[in-house]
Amino acid sequence: MTDHNMPIANPLVVLREEFDDWAILFNPETADAMGINPVGVAVWKQMDGRHSLEEIVDDLGERFSEVPDTAGKDVAAFVNQLVELGFVGYELKDSGR
Amino acid sequence: MTNLDENNTFPLDQIYFYLTEGCNLACRHCWLAPKFDADGTHYPTLPVELFETAIREARPLGLTGVKLTGGEPLLHPEFLTLLEIIRQEGLELTIETNGVLCSPEIASEIAKHPDCFVSVSIDGTDAETHDRIRGVSGAFNRAQQAVRNLVAVDTHPQIIMSVLRSSARQVDDMVRMAEQLGASSVKFNVIQPVARGRKLQETAATLTIEELIELGRHVEMALAPTTNLRLVFDYPPAFRPLSCIASSNGCDTCGILGILGVIAGGQYALCGIGKHVSQLVFGEVGKDRLETVWQENQILKAIREGLPDHLGGICARCLMKHQCKGACIAQNYYCTGSLWSPFWFCEVAEKEGLFPETRLVEVAA
Repeated sequence: MTDHNMPIANPLVVLREEFDDWAILFNPETADAMGINPVGVAVWKQMDGRHSLEEIVDDLGERFSEVPDTAGKDVAAFVNQLVELGFVGYELKDSGR
Repeated sequence: MTNLDENNTFPLDQIYFYLTEGCNLACRHCWLAPKFDADGTHYPTLPVELFETAIREARPLGLTGVKLTGGEPLLHPEFLTLLEIIRQEGLELTIETNGVLCSPEIASEIAKHPDCFVSVSIDGTDAETHDRIRGVSGAFNRAQQAVRNLVAVDTHPQIIMSVLRSSARQVDDMVRMAEQLGASSVKFNVIQPVARGRKLQETAATLTIEELIELGRHVEMALAPTTNLRLVFDYPPAFRPLSCIASSNGCDTCGILGILGVIAGGQYALCGIGKHVSQLVFGEVGKDRLETVWQENQILKAIREGLPDHLGGICARCLMKHQCKGACIAQNYYCTGSLWSPFWFCEVAEKEGLFPETRLVEVAA
């Protein structure tokens, strides 16, 4: 991974939003599922391959109040967890060749 | 997901002792339906030697705690002896009582136990409601006093309220009452369609599934933020908000794979259901070796091998099945004669279009 990596959601994975703004990420191919909180939902919606982790964290600061200083590390850990589950991958930027 | 220990066997973590065949109350909703026994002298109670035998044989299998329930556990003529045995064995203690016999002296004996959890059943916030449900006049005052007696010795019990149609509007007030009494938590039980509970359901004295889901949502989302007490609404985890599941420390994970029941007649059983269903009685305490029962009984082996993947119906399609494990295998067997039947609550919810689609493996097109 490099600083230029931008997470991108596995297009097969479905975001199922519930009444209290939490949601379930569900992979119909594997039946794997994961519950996520409203911050996780916001992060998920930004993982379109066009936003870096830094940009995603900045976006959280605009959407939520009292974002902690550890948000960058927390979001990175969350994304890594999703990567391990196969819910998220990375799209490498063109290196300029 | 399994409970296997390092030896690749299932530890017997808990024994639930159903100590008495009789009970000093006559609750309209009771799933065990014990015979009425005002002073505990008319119907069998579990002999102390069988209690000791079960514990002694369970220790090498992994026993860490016991639950004393009934009938009514405090009705057992040698209840204090049982407490002493549990203390000497260093086991965690859970007691489910109606509180009628929980005097200051008994509360003090319970409080000597370093690791105990006590629940007292109170089904309404006034004597008229509670006593009508419990079938004995004066039960409400005794139950409230039991909570006070336990709190006085620094054992803050859980209050369990079984919710009937006639008492549902008292749910908020029950939390306020629990705060005033000094309880640690309140659990709201759904009436199960077993024994007397089934008759109540047939007469519409219980809430509908839609009403229960709405009430559960109210308790978890609206009522819980107003109190420091822990509130539990005992419906299946598929209906619980994710935010509540995330903060509930694994309470939605069923412990069935590490639990065995001992009923008052001295038999090993899946749980108290053995009183109603002979197929779920596995042997005799003192005659059959517990190790053999625990490791070789065909039904226990089938449950270990089949949960949750053999569950049918809505349970087979539920994302929560690994935590929930069919909610209550005993209940499912009682209703249908199959261990793998779906839980009645979820089945009805599905038929009525009330099961949350977000919790299903597949969503209908």
